[in-house]
Amino acid sequence: MVAFRNTDTSGRTSGLLLRCVLYCLLALGLIITDKRYDHLGDIRRFLSVVAYPLEVVVASPFQGWDWFRESVSTRETLQADKQKLEAALRVANFKLQRYEALEAESQRLRALRTNTAAVASHFLIGNIMHLDLDAFRQRVLVDKGAHDGVFVGQAVLDSGGVFGQVARVEQLTSEVILISDPTHEIPVQVNRNGLRTIAVGTGDSHLLKLPYLPTSADIIAGDLLVTSGLGGGFPAGYPVGTVAEVKRDPAQSLADVDVRPAAALDRTSEVMFVWLNVADDTPAPAPAAAPAPPPARATARNEAPAHGAAPPP
Amino acid sequence: MMRDDPVRRVPMALSALVALALAVVPLPAAIDAFRPDFLVLVVFYWSIESPRAGGLALAFFAGLTLDVVRGVVLGQHALALTLMAAWATHLRLRLRVFSTLSQSLTIFALLTGYQFILFWIDGATGNPVTTFSRWLAPVIGAIFWPLIAGVLSRLHDR
Repeated sequence: MVAFRNTDTSGRTSGLLLRCVLYCLLALGLIITDKRYDHLGDIRRFLSVVAYPLEVVVASPFQGWDWFRESVSTRETLQADKQKLEAALRVANFKLQRYEALEAESQRLRALRTNTAAVASHFLIGNIMHLDLDAFRQRVLVDKGAHDGVFVGQAVLDSGGVFGQVARVEQLTSEVILISDPTHEIPVQVNRNGLRTIAVGTGDSHLLKLPYLPTSADIIAGDLLVTSGLGGGFPAGYPVGTVAEVKRDPAQSLADVDVRPAAALDRTSEVMFVWLNVADDTPAPAPAAAPAPPPARATARNEAPAHGAAPPP
Repeated sequence: MMRDDPVRRVPMALSALVALALAVVPLPAAIDAFRPDFLVLVVFYWSIESPRAGGLALAFFAGLTLDVVRGVVLGQHALALTLMAAWATHLRLRLRVFSTLSQSLTIFALLTGYQFILFWIDGATGNPVTTFSRWLAPVIGAIFWPLIAGVLSRLHDR
């Protein structure tokens, strides 16, 4: 039996009810103000700055361990790593050679269609802080915040594909909601045939669903889903996932499609914040002017000022 | 009792900080669902042990911290924790003479009430969490209660 040391057994809890009611009213007031009027951003920002040291302290053993492992790794491991990275870089460079030309071509075609799809203009790498925010929600804390120009709704990628979007920004940190969160939906299209739909999260970081496709939709297991860029939140053309299984029940009007996310939602430690460069509203150059040298066009686009309050790349 | 009030606040604050750290330290996903609500149990312990040293204030501010750390609507955990801590304070004289099993059962009831209030506010603010694992938390908390209360009362003896 657990022993309590307190010898005060008079049973008087002076004003317990009164204090309880007071605190509860205060809490209810906070909930209503926060929910209805969204006036508590400053208070929350202040409190989160107060909580930041704790978050750093809790996360530090894990970062320390990473640092330790990196600093005691042997020459052989480093060399092996280097070779692996060089090989990966070579492959990436091969792919990139075609990319420049394709990008320019895509720009020309978009200009012909006067499409204003957003293009990613620059990136900022953030580290995921090793913190469990809530076991029931798919969210992570990243060590970049308003100080670095991160804004709510910003798209976040990892090396595999779309990771999520910024849900809340504090001064030094930001909270990213993963694409697998049950409340998250992302506009996608099938890369093979351009079929557009919406992928919703399930709460399981290995599974997304496509709940709005009819049973007759042209989709098969193995199809790659990419962002469609509709809605303007995400840059177009980044991989979201691959279709794992399509279940067609003739009694239902909608197909049941399972998607495996392309990003390593539960394993990654670095993510990229993306600033979109919304294509200029000025009328596209006339088709006759199109045969401008493609590399020059691509460079000009890259150097265009970033949209929004973005820091220097 | 009044004479050692100032002394008591130090272990109170310290244990709350440690519990908060334990509440956010990362665990493998497999055992994450089985993590007890450390901070909630610590608040319950101090509400029962020394309500005069500010158990309700501790409950309110611990709840507010949980709100900020978890990124939910401000006041949600604060409300739930304050109400349940007040109930624990109300029950404290009875709890003190209970056997460990009865204490755990009472804690189970308190934690269930706590989860229910959270569930209700989640629903009312429009982002319901309907996973079943949320209702596992009271069971885990009740199982961990003798351990946590034992450690805290040991700490208290010093």
